[in-house]
Amino acid sequence: MSEVKEMISAEELAKEFKEHSVAEFFKKNRQMLGLTGKIKTLTVIIHEYVSNSLDACEEAKILPDIEVQVKELGEEHYEVMVKDNGPGLTKETVGKALGQLLAGTKFHRLIQQRGQQGIGASGCTLLSLITTGKPIQVISGTSKDVFKCELTIDPKKNEPKIISIEDLDKKYRGLAIKAQFKEIKYQRSDQGPLEYLRRTAIANPHAKITFTEPDGTVTVFERSSHEIPKRPQPIKPHPKGATVDELLTLAKHTKARKISSFLKEEFDRIGDKAIEDISKLVHFDLNCDPKSLTWEQAEEIIKAFRKIDFIAPRLDALIPIGEERIKKSIKAIVEPEFIEVVERKPAVYRGGFPFCVEVGVAFGGNAGRLAGKDEEGKPIWKAEIMRFANRTPLLFDSGGCALTQAVQSIDWKRYGIKDFDNSPITIFIHLLSVHIPYTGAGKQAVSPEEEIMEEIRLALMEAGRKIYRFIGYQRRMAEREAKRKMYYKYATEVASALSVLTNKDKKEIEEKLHALVLKHLKIEEKKEAEEAKKMENITEEEIEKAYQKLKEKEKKKEVKKSKKASIEAEEGGEE
Amino acid sequence: MKTAKDKEVTEKLENVGKTILSQIEKGQNPTFRLPLRTLSNVYFDEKTGTIKLGDKMADRQFLNIAHSRKFMQTMLVAAEIKKVIQEEATISIRDLYYALKHTIEGTQENTFEEQSESDPCIEDIECSLDLLREELHLAASAKGIIAGDVLIKDGKDTIDLTKMGSGGWSVPSNVEPDRIEFKKVNAEYVLFIEKDAVWRRFNEDQFWKKQNCIIMTGRGQPGRGERRLAQRLNKEFGLPIYVLTDADPWGMYIYSVIKQGSIALSYSEEKLATPQAKFLGLLTQDVEKYNIPKEVTIKLNNLDVKRLKEMENYKWFQKKEWKEEFKNMKEKGYKLELEALSKKGIRFITEKYVPEKIKNKEFLP
Repeated sequence: MSEVKEMISAEELAKEFKEHSVAEFFKKNRQMLGLTGKIKTLTVIIHEYVSNSLDACEEAKILPDIEVQVKELGEEHYEVMVKDNGPGLTKETVGKALGQLLAGTKFHRLIQQRGQQGIGASGCTLLSLITTGKPIQVISGTSKDVFKCELTIDPKKNEPKIISIEDLDKKYRGLAIKAQFKEIKYQRSDQGPLEYLRRTAIANPHAKITFTEPDGTVTVFERSSHEIPKRPQPIKPHPKGATVDELLTLAKHTKARKISSFLKEEFDRIGDKAIEDISKLVHFDLNCDPKSLTWEQAEEIIKAFRKIDFIAPRLDALIPIGEERIKKSIKAIVEPEFIEVVERKPAVYRGGFPFCVEVGVAFGGNAGRLAGKDEEGKPIWKAEIMRFANRTPLLFDSGGCALTQAVQSIDWKRYGIKDFDNSPITIFIHLLSVHIPYTGAGKQAVSPEEEIMEEIRLALMEAGRKIYRFIGYQRRMAEREAKRKMYYKYATEVASALSVLTNKDKKEIEEKLHALVLKHLKIEEKKEAEEAKKMENITEEEIEKAYQKLKEKEKKKEVKKSKKASIEAEEGGEE
Repeated sequence: MKTAKDKEVTEKLENVGKTILSQIEKGQNPTFRLPLRTLSNVYFDEKTGTIKLGDKMADRQFLNIAHSRKFMQTMLVAAEIKKVIQEEATISIRDLYYALKHTIEGTQENTFEEQSESDPCIEDIECSLDLLREELHLAASAKGIIAGDVLIKDGKDTIDLTKMGSGGWSVPSNVEPDRIEFKKVNAEYVLFIEKDAVWRRFNEDQFWKKQNCIIMTGRGQPGRGERRLAQRLNKEFGLPIYVLTDADPWGMYIYSVIKQGSIALSYSEEKLATPQAKFLGLLTQDVEKYNIPKEVTIKLNNLDVKRLKEMENYKWFQKKEWKEEFKNMKEKGYKLELEALSKKGIRFITEKYVPEKIKNKEFLP
């Protein structure tokens, strides 16, 4: 019952809705959401609904329980159903939430959030209409009432069109949406809905997600955490990250009467001292009405921002998933043999945007991507990189993404991973920021900001050092076992030879040899344990040293081999 | 009947076993100590003119992953030799390999995969116990052949090496004076030929009769028997040894092994090498000298060039005549096979090339 007490009602949330025109959306984004490709489109649809559900539950402080179902109705014709246990929508808000593009509350706020733009669910309504001509079906239950409705969107006016609405006499809290789409395709691939939901579950350990595939297969991702994440706080933009466009948009909506007070109110870290500095750098009066700002004037202000020193932006607006929760979540869903998670302290990129990086490296067990089986039926694993931005999985444009590039820039050999691409390894990278620098409107790849790349690399290297220890331990264990087997194997032969040479009993000699092997391995084990202890706080320099040594050793081995081969070749064998 | 030597050898082998067993009982790592037989522990003795083994020792240990298999193999070989001596038999080193080769219980691994694994173990035992192969009742199977005006007593049989037909007499691996006795040697020199096919040419042309010499071949890299026999003919009868090989780094090395000895057998080269041997040919320099058409030369490959570089550094090749030949081979970039001389006529080699070189004493040291 504590869940209900803490709940914020849908009615309260409704107050926050503000309207924005579609035109404005295009002005800011220039391109539509990347709903291209049949498999990708289906994944994006599910993403829009599921991230809405997660956001709504988080805001209402509810542990999310989300069901997703995809049914095949015909050739490239599917029905998508997403049902949650969130706060639901009211009859007043349902239209705007699902039938009007850019009606969301989140458009201009700088906040760490999943969707970031809010075209999502309404965009799906529009897509459903365009491809099938059908409205979507909604059942919504709030703490007050439960109703069912059919609605669609008027694309010209960008207005919701409610076709039918009726009260239901049953108990339900949450939102269930059923919509049909054509020209899409379901596939169990790396970029399909199943993988998307698996990764969503990893980044949202407080959520339970149930997925039913078209063939009836049900997969349940249980929650591994019962804590609802803290709600990230919106922050005002920092002047160092501001753009001319953004400045003008804010100026248009401000209640302030003077440019000076507008800047102080709408931006973080701007005080009287900064206003004084700015006034010296611009060629117009800061007492003017902000609504009168021209493009050129806005440009001057932005240039002034670049020249002036500001206090760094606030870093407390970021809510990471947390080391322990990521560990638990990856353990439960990926089932690796070893997992290491590194959470970096928040930092700032481009001087104005706070961000933070969380990295997980899972190794062995079921980590990595199963790429088939070899001749002996053993599984072949390939490395897998899971990218997340504000708890949302990024499945597409992997190659063009800074997160992938950061992983590829690491020399994994130094951490004992000889062939990274063909190792059972899953890399988890979560980038949190109030503003994720995507490379395009498709929002699937992060641009390589220097500061972000560096933080990811540092985190990966730290995790790498721990992996190095683990792999070292694993290898030593395997080596010791191999040694024991080998010594035992040869002991039989040696015993029979010694028995011939000494005329003593073979069995007796063999037993003595076995005892000797065990004693020898125990001494080795002790030495190893001491060495392992030394490795606990291994530094990058020490790893480098060890790595160089290893390379040297391998080189020497090669030389020795070729030398031996040439001597053998010259002297040949006798018969 | 077991000889005193057999008893001594058996005792030496048993002592190896006893030492190792006592190490096991004391909880020590079972260790077999042996002289190191690598290039780094071999030196060229200017006085004797042969390769000799240095005094560096190596420990082969059971509880060392890099040694364990070899250790096991060495013990098996030692035990097998003891058995062979007990049975008063002599076997070939190939017999020994097969006698010991079996799959290790509970595994898919063999005790020995190839004879090249058991042969070095024999050599290790020979040099660490300071014993000759013959004293271990082991023999390499006959490989080399010989012909010439020589009368030999081999055990009870007396053999006339002028009457061996087209096949020649095959040289046994044990040619020690107690086994092989020279009754008559009527020759002026020994021609040691690298290749079997070329030897047959010389034999068919009755070269040994016409030139009053002995012709022999080791069929590639010569074995102990041929080398020991050449040494004896040189030492006991003062016959010069002339070596005839392909003009390539491998042929030169065969000459080097006949003359100075090999790295693997460096511990007994005093008994095998013939420092007085001289190199007759071929030389790449002969191509121009004898006007041999360029198309019968062969381009040096990467391996040849690499080997050539290694040989240039060997102490015993630091002579100006050899440096000249190395230089010529490198500059011309080709090698030459003995058979290539047939381009000048089938009997060019037996009637002109070799007789002229011997007559003019055109040898490389």
